Amino acid sequence: MSSWLDYTINGLIVGNVYALVAVGLALIFGVSRLINFAQGSIYLVGAYIGWVAVVQLHTPLPLTIIVVAVAAALVGLIIERFGLRPLQNSVRIAPLLATIGISFVLDQLVMLTFSPNPRALPSQLPDVRFQVGGGTIGPLDLLIAGVGITSALLLFVFLRYSKLGWAIRATAQDRDAAMQMGVDVNRVNQAVFGIAAALGGVSGMLVGMYYNQIDTAMSLQATLKGVVAEVVGGAGNVPGAVVGSLLLGLVESYGVAVFGTSYRNLFAFLLLVVVLVLRPNGLFASARQAPPEPLTGTFIAPSRPVRIPRWALLVAAGVFAILPFFPVSFYVLQTLINAWLLGMLALSLTLVAGTIGQVSLGHAALLAIGAYTSALLSLNFSVPVGLAIIGGGLMSAALGTALISPSFRLRGHYVSIATLAIGEIVSLVILNWESVTRGPIGISGIPPLSLFGYDLISATSIYWFSFSAMVVLALLQGRLLGSHLGRSFRAIRDDDIAARAYGLSLNRYKSLAFIFGGFAAGVSGGIAAHLYSYINHETFNTQQSILALTVVILGGLGNVVGAILGSVALVGLPEVFRIAAEYRILIYGIVLLLLVRFRPQGLLGTI
Amino acid sequence: MTDSAPEPLLALSNVNTFYGQAQVHFDLSITVGRGHIVCLLGGNASGKSTTMKIILGLVRPRSGDVTFDGASLLGLTTPQIVRRGIASVPEARRLFADMSVRENILMGAFVRNDRDVVAQDLDRMLTLFPKLGQRLSQRAGSLSGGEQQMVAMARALMSRPRMIVMDEPTMGLSPLYVDRVLELIRTINQEGVSVFMVEQNASLALEIAHEAYVLQTGTIVLSGPAQALKDDPRVRDAYLGGSEAA
Repeated sequence: MSSWLDYTINGLIVGNVYALVAVGLALIFGVSRLINFAQGSIYLVGAYIGWVAVVQLHTPLPLTIIVVAVAAALVGLIIERFGLRPLQNSVRIAPLLATIGISFVLDQLVMLTFSPNPRALPSQLPDVRFQVGGGTIGPLDLLIAGVGITSALLLFVFLRYSKLGWAIRATAQDRDAAMQMGVDVNRVNQAVFGIAAALGGVSGMLVGMYYNQIDTAMSLQATLKGVVAEVVGGAGNVPGAVVGSLLLGLVESYGVAVFGTSYRNLFAFLLLVVVLVLRPNGLFASARQAPPEPLTGTFIAPSRPVRIPRWALLVAAGVFAILPFFPVSFYVLQTLINAWLLGMLALSLTLVAGTIGQVSLGHAALLAIGAYTSALLSLNFSVPVGLAIIGGGLMSAALGTALISPSFRLRGHYVSIATLAIGEIVSLVILNWESVTRGPIGISGIPPLSLFGYDLISATSIYWFSFSAMVVLALLQGRLLGSHLGRSFRAIRDDDIAARAYGLSLNRYKSLAFIFGGFAAGVSGGIAAHLYSYINHETFNTQQSILALTVVILGGLGNVVGAILGSVALVGLPEVFRIAAEYRILIYGIVLLLLVRFRPQGLLGTI
Repeated sequence: MTDSAPEPLLALSNVNTFYGQAQVHFDLSITVGRGHIVCLLGGNASGKSTTMKIILGLVRPRSGDVTFDGASLLGLTTPQIVRRGIASVPEARRLFADMSVRENILMGAFVRNDRDVVAQDLDRMLTLFPKLGQRLSQRAGSLSGGEQQMVAMARALMSRPRMIVMDEPTMGLSPLYVDRVLELIRTINQEGVSVFMVEQNASLALEIAHEAYVLQTGTIVLSGPAQALKDDPRVRDAYLGGSEAA
């Protein structure tokens, strides 16, 4: 068993690695008020460039570091120039979504190039350990610490004494005023993305060497950890990001020491949620400071929604309802069932993200809660499946709302971070709460769908079941949006301060939206559980959350018909074109990027 | 007061500006003569601040032209316009709050590359604004409103501009500082810098300006020598109210 000193050293080393990611995030946030969700992908790219350099080109270590830094910086510059600069005058949600799309594209490209299998990344350093007090330290630890400290010093000198450094600091404090001093903010953005990417890439390489393993799952984890460290230190605060990272490293390391390895991430995300709720400006900001977000104005692209006549909707619903009477293949029905399940999730997300403007990146957690509840109700308590699914919906509504409620006071990007963290927390609790959830083994043998004692096994009956569930939820949601409640939701989205001034209780309306949305997503998850008959903590993952978000943006945020249309399109089109599964995520990422760039209001328009 | 009308340094001609569907400026034409102080008066939502933004390239007009020293500014970015010799004192000063006073003033010289002369100019600013001498290493955000206005003016002067545009330089200042600021604008102007300022406080602005324009919902309704406008009953009724009569 290692000593406490070992855990401290480990915590600080890991903290150093996080710092390299978080400092980049802080620089970017400072200059463009943007959380760069693609930072982890650059970290991933850095790790794989490192692998190519070390394993295939046999470069010596100092050269490897330089190669990785330069190559990653190039990737950062490309992202800035082609992914983000065109969105400068776009709505505020656009760059956030673009970085998510970019991260999907980069991750998939790496996966397609190098295969998803893990690879070893040797550090080329001698494998010796020195005794320090009661613990040990190795050359790689010293390298990581050295790179971390050197980067921090260089960055400090650069920001304090160089002209470009001054421009970066001035832009971070007041972009317009900096422009009026003659600062070219595009160059500042470029510089910041280049630096952030170089640091992130080197960080990925060092982590790969530290664990002597790299794989494509590193990306999301790195983004999450970097974001946690950055928010803990105060968004946009560069020294704060370093301290936040070290703190995060220590918290995780001690958490692992006490509870075990599978708790590492749980501690990270709990730390994030606690900081977001208690000190949303980070640990070091003075309390009086307002959060660095514009106070009013909508986050969502405003537009005039496309009006679809009622008869057209009725005809479409009728066609889909009688579809199984026609000689359609099992495959078509299967695809549409998936679309209806995704449609329910999209209904939920379009209400939460579109109508009331809380862009959730952790929506799959609601699926998971519904699925587990329904599965366990039917397995452990022999509740009829139909009732169990409703139970799943109710549990999702209640638990989902309870989990998100501490974050109701947050705005804009912070809501997205909080929901992302809550999504991860739900998945980690499922993984660790073995007595109830069966932990990593998952739940198998979930009874099939049934209604009033009749098992629904045939594709036709499952089709009707899921289709009618979705239609009922869609009709309810349509009613909701037409009522004064829908108007209040939109008022809160467009200007929460004005809404509050008119006497709307933000907490109550946000709760209502999450309760309704949680129910729809929970029902979808419940149906899925009985359909799949096996679920585990990874069945409903962040990829699904992002897929749902893409669907919702494709249809038009807040748009009920749009959510369903988006689901059918994103599930159906890859089938129609027979696109191989491994390219699908790549395509979803590209769709998201194209939408954000050319039609941020979606196909049918935001409501 | 100059008698002969010199060739204008800055000219806005027939500018029409829109925010979405809403028109902000209707055929706006303004000229600022070399070495003059020109003041744009107007109430809330008259389009004053947008005029500043047009000059600085932060907002683009739909039609019309903006020329500086004979060359059009349209299509240039804000940094390019600053390099042409226009500096700004933005509304509410907009200092870099977490940077020191010294850094703020030196940011004004961002477009310059002559380090040694910049250092001399910093000394010159400290003689012009003696109070800032003791505050150089303090956070700019910790200064009082009046002191911040001094920093903003010093910052603007550091680029050695030919013209300074100021958005409500006396807003929110104590009466003591208002007088001080007006005096400084006069001093700056006497050193050869043209000034274009937007003000709500008409009586004070007309005190130091050579010419003035009155903007009402995007249209110039009155213009002429400041002295004449000051006595114009329409200006008195609209902006000067009883205070000037008293």
